[in-house]
Amino acid sequence: MFGIFKGLGVTFGQMTKKKVTLQYPDVRINMPERYRGIHQFIPELCIVCNQCARICPTDCISLSGTRNEDKKLRIDTYDINFEICILCDLCVEVCPTEAILMTPRFELASYTRDELYKDMEWLYGNHLGEFGSHEQAMAAQAAREAEHAAAAAANGVEPGGDS
Amino acid sequence: MELRPDLTLPVIEYEGLSAEESADLRKAGIVLAPLEQIKGWARSNSLWPLSFGLACCAIEMMATGASHYDLDRFGIIFRASPRQSDVMIVAGTVTKKMGPLLKRLYDQMAEPKWVVAMGSCATAGGPYVRSYSVVKGVDQIVPVDVYIPGCPPSPPALIYGLNKLQEKIRIEAAGKKVPV
Repeated sequence: MFGIFKGLGVTFGQMTKKKVTLQYPDVRINMPERYRGIHQFIPELCIVCNQCARICPTDCISLSGTRNEDKKLRIDTYDINFEICILCDLCVEVCPTEAILMTPRFELASYTRDELYKDMEWLYGNHLGEFGSHEQAMAAQAAREAEHAAAAAANGVEPGGDS
Repeated sequence: MELRPDLTLPVIEYEGLSAEESADLRKAGIVLAPLEQIKGWARSNSLWPLSFGLACCAIEMMATGASHYDLDRFGIIFRASPRQSDVMIVAGTVTKKMGPLLKRLYDQMAEPKWVVAMGSCATAGGPYVRSYSVVKGVDQIVPVDVYIPGCPPSPPALIYGLNKLQEKIRIEAAGKKVPV
């Protein structure tokens, strides 16, 4: 008999609490640092070792490279088929030069399947963002990290320390 | 909180009227638009999906419907019957055994109807792309409007895909084709 009042008490108790809904399309969501979003690729760092393509569980990465005059391998094409990519992070883990990385981006829905086949230029643009070159993007990232460390130091927290 | 401009009345610049006159009409709450466009606007803001969860994507779909992401904000309310739904979110792996049932559910839905392929499995088979028993993409059975990659796509990725579908409905109601 009084069960309904008990239940409604829980419901009305929630009304005074803070709202939890994230206003996603209006407010950008900051994904966690280790969120596995769509990839970024940095051709300058790639040594065409083929490890990412070999470890990929769905074989969604295809790449090709040629040798320079100084016998170094240079990447020519690098495609990821996001139709079947399961964003498992294995390619990022095996990459010896960190040429392929995960970004916190997730907005990749499309009207056709063909659009989900992404080439090297697109993946590089995903890395560059608003910056013109790889050096500028890295400098901006270093500046961001320095700012973060300074803020942590100001709060009396050792950067990177747990205790 | 400001209202989303695409959820308020459609902003239409009328032909043969100046920008000020169009703004005056909007301020007065008068909409002069083809009936199709008004219907498209109304349909896009009351998408009722069929709750059709097949695998782990369904968990993300449920999470999107819950309070942290809250699909009700977009007028997206899950229905348990294909007769009452407008959009089918194929969330998960479609096996060859499930294929005919998916087709039947699609046929039971009333027109106009749309299909969203959520996740890699529904898009192209995903991790089961070499399997003998999985349909390699739900577009082999029913026509798909929006593909959402991910394994599974996170709730914001699903919201992004559904917003793209709303956009598509509005664009197509205006008699245009979606930009590919």
